[in-house]
Amino acid sequence: MRIDRYITVFACAALVFLMPRASSAADAPLVIAGARVVTVSGAVLENASIVIQDGRIAALGSGLAAPAGARIIDGRGKTVYPGLFDGLTTLGLVEVGQGAPGTVDTNETGDVNPHAKSWVALHPDSELLPVARAFGITTALSAPGGGLISGQSAVIRTVGDTMTGLTVKSAVAMHMRYPTGAPVIDFSQGIPNLEPKTFEQRVSERKKNQEKELLRLRGLLEEARAYGEGLASGLALKVDLPMEALALAASGRIPVVMRANAEADIKGAIKFANENKLKLIIAGGAEAWRCTDDLKKSDVAVLMGVDQLPTREADPYDAAYANAATLHKAGIRFAIVTDDASNSRNLPFEAAMAHAFGLSREAALRSITLSPAEIFGVSSSLGSIEAGKAATLIITNGDILDHRTSITNVIIDGREASLDNKHQRLYERYKARP
Amino acid sequence: MKIQMSKYPGFIVLGALMAWGARTEAQDTVTAITHAKIMTVGPAGTIENGTILIKGGKITAVGASVTVPTGATIIDASGRVVTPGLIDAHSHTAVEDGVNECTNIVTAEVRVTDALDPRDISIYRQLAGGVTAANILHGSCNSIGGQNATIKMRWGVASGDALIFQGAPPGIKFALGENPKRSNFNVGTRRYPMTRMGVEVSIRNAFLEAKAYKKEWDDYEASSKAAAPPRTSRGSGKATTAPAPLPVAPRKNLQMEALKEILEGKRLVHAHSYRADEILMLIDVANEMGFKIATFQHVLEGYKVATEMAKHGAGGSTFSDWWAYKMEAYDAIPYNAAIMASHGVVVSLNSDSDELARRLYWEAAKTVRYGGVSEDEAFKMVTLNPAKQLWIDKWAGSIEVGKDADLAIFKSHPFAPDTRVEMTLVDGKVMFDRSKDVAARKGVAATLGGGGQ
Repeated sequence: MRIDRYITVFACAALVFLMPRASSAADAPLVIAGARVVTVSGAVLENASIVIQDGRIAALGSGLAAPAGARIIDGRGKTVYPGLFDGLTTLGLVEVGQGAPGTVDTNETGDVNPHAKSWVALHPDSELLPVARAFGITTALSAPGGGLISGQSAVIRTVGDTMTGLTVKSAVAMHMRYPTGAPVIDFSQGIPNLEPKTFEQRVSERKKNQEKELLRLRGLLEEARAYGEGLASGLALKVDLPMEALALAASGRIPVVMRANAEADIKGAIKFANENKLKLIIAGGAEAWRCTDDLKKSDVAVLMGVDQLPTREADPYDAAYANAATLHKAGIRFAIVTDDASNSRNLPFEAAMAHAFGLSREAALRSITLSPAEIFGVSSSLGSIEAGKAATLIITNGDILDHRTSITNVIIDGREASLDNKHQRLYERYKARP
Repeated sequence: MKIQMSKYPGFIVLGALMAWGARTEAQDTVTAITHAKIMTVGPAGTIENGTILIKGGKITAVGASVTVPTGATIIDASGRVVTPGLIDAHSHTAVEDGVNECTNIVTAEVRVTDALDPRDISIYRQLAGGVTAANILHGSCNSIGGQNATIKMRWGVASGDALIFQGAPPGIKFALGENPKRSNFNVGTRRYPMTRMGVEVSIRNAFLEAKAYKKEWDDYEASSKAAAPPRTSRGSGKATTAPAPLPVAPRKNLQMEALKEILEGKRLVHAHSYRADEILMLIDVANEMGFKIATFQHVLEGYKVATEMAKHGAGGSTFSDWWAYKMEAYDAIPYNAAIMASHGVVVSLNSDSDELARRLYWEAAKTVRYGGVSEDEAFKMVTLNPAKQLWIDKWAGSIEVGKDADLAIFKSHPFAPDTRVEMTLVDGKVMFDRSKDVAARKGVAATLGGGGQ
């Protein structure tokens, strides 16, 4: 117990953080036998078996012997996929979005919160986690939002008794909003008394604001870089939590996830990131299809939704649906994400829509498994079915992109996770009510 | 898919999209959709390789062995799946910025038909998702909101009136729970009601007033009949009785007129609701006041009181799986549609969203996963069932002879993960054609920049 705690403290202090799920070694080996295995990283294996030991995939293929004492899951007629990875969510940070502010821990007050850390506020008993899990979401990026600099995200598993148990990797990325210069209106503070202005006035004010905000962000990053370098060189600096945290991103040690949707904002964010030597990931990316050259040139990854309306009236009706296929064709790294919590289970259906509008089945599946794992630096253990990787898998009775398919088993770090969830319970209770 | 004999002049840019709708075809020409798998959603079931004939905007024949008359415009749907146009029983399309008259508890007098905008691009985008008709509702700001408009997605028409689904009975929006309570909205002044108790009172109050109003008018109409002056015969020598004074008509009240129509069964009540208690509350009030609820909308806890809903005869129009976005949605479950249906409630799946409306076919597919609804019943939830709920099933919701030719042509089975809508017809006219849309993008790109992907 004590040693565990020290290890955790040490890991947090050192800001390195791949946390294996505790004590899976005690579990009996598990074998999924005779299934169709969609590995994502390699070929689809028909009638194959997966041997799971100590939380990892020990072997994969046909003609494998089950280890002594192994529990066998009959995989005949079933398909095994890597656990689905929702690369942008607020899972664990929010229970009820509206009307219950006590259950919402996504947005800290103020503009500059690089020291806000999602993994310290994860609620293990959130009803949203078992719901996401039962429908195939085994892994997610849990990220804060709001302000100019929102804070840091963590990769989480959707099972765990504590916030530590939920966390796979902390300090994964620094989340920011690309400043657009548009006035930020908080309607909870009442209706603002907006002065009537001409279009030209608004455009010029917006531009001025944007320049000011970018200058401010640049200043913060420079200060953080200097602070970080000072600490590293052993200077006894006064403790400054925001600067200490922001130094991680300013120095390029962790990527910056920047929210940007409009073409000008995406291109502006890329330019800003290059000038400030940030490792950029775009979140949103609604008009990423208009920025393929810039994204490709700077090798910027995009976290994108699919089920969205076009951003401009004259855009193709399927602009958002075809966005992923366009990025894929251009060789741009991307993950399809829900950017949600309660709707996270719809992740494979967003990938399906991208598939219906031009993205290959393989690429669609990759965008919700291996691609996010790569983007967040956890692909050595997650995202595909390979020997040596974490045994984080789902078993289905059909095509995971098909709405009619059911998920029959969820295995996280080698252990079969409960599919019990609030929705199933209420269903059982009321379906037979006379 | 090819359309033969069609005359498409060189369209430019968005004008192209507008023009499809505005293009009027001679009403006596026949259009034939051939070689199609036809999911009729009607008694004919699914026809593996069939033909549909359309004349004057109506379906004149459907079947596996239908003779195509010479000169017909042919839409070859080989390998495609033709379905009835999808119907969205809860939409706010084409009334953006005009959806909530929020100032009073009861605003039964305002009409969505006065605020319809036929140029809303969402009409076209929803055609691209196979939607051909929708119930355009007032917002949920008040216990009794404004009057609805049942429309067809007639992209390209010049006026809001031309969107109206002819023959559809009028309806009205009610709303229960957090929205009329305004509990999630700090903006502006406080307004009665602030509790579910107050919501009940506001509806009962309105109907007590409406009943009194109706009685005034009923009495007036009865007495004006009775007071018709008696005919006197000239020179009969007998004194005629003095005519009774003509009764004075009560003053018209537009709000009360709408509620009177509800009491008379002429106006359909669509009640936004979430929790089981408020669903039962409204059923009680309706029974007491003597009116029927056509549909409960959203009705996320309908699964808890499905028996009571079925007994009242109310339909349920719900989301497939949204939950936890507010307290009253915390017990929402994706099995809601399945449970309501198994208890005898006519269930539809709606969008309440310009975005979600474009993929209603997949919303229906989810009910197969959640609760094991059969594929046929699931697809009814976005076609025939919403038509029944809106009382337009005489004209829409299935592919049957005599019904309007409102059709969607899918690339593959509407539940398949690679499907998309290739063509949509309203009143027999092609209002969306993906191949033409894709071709038109080059023009858009040249004019506006960006454009096609």
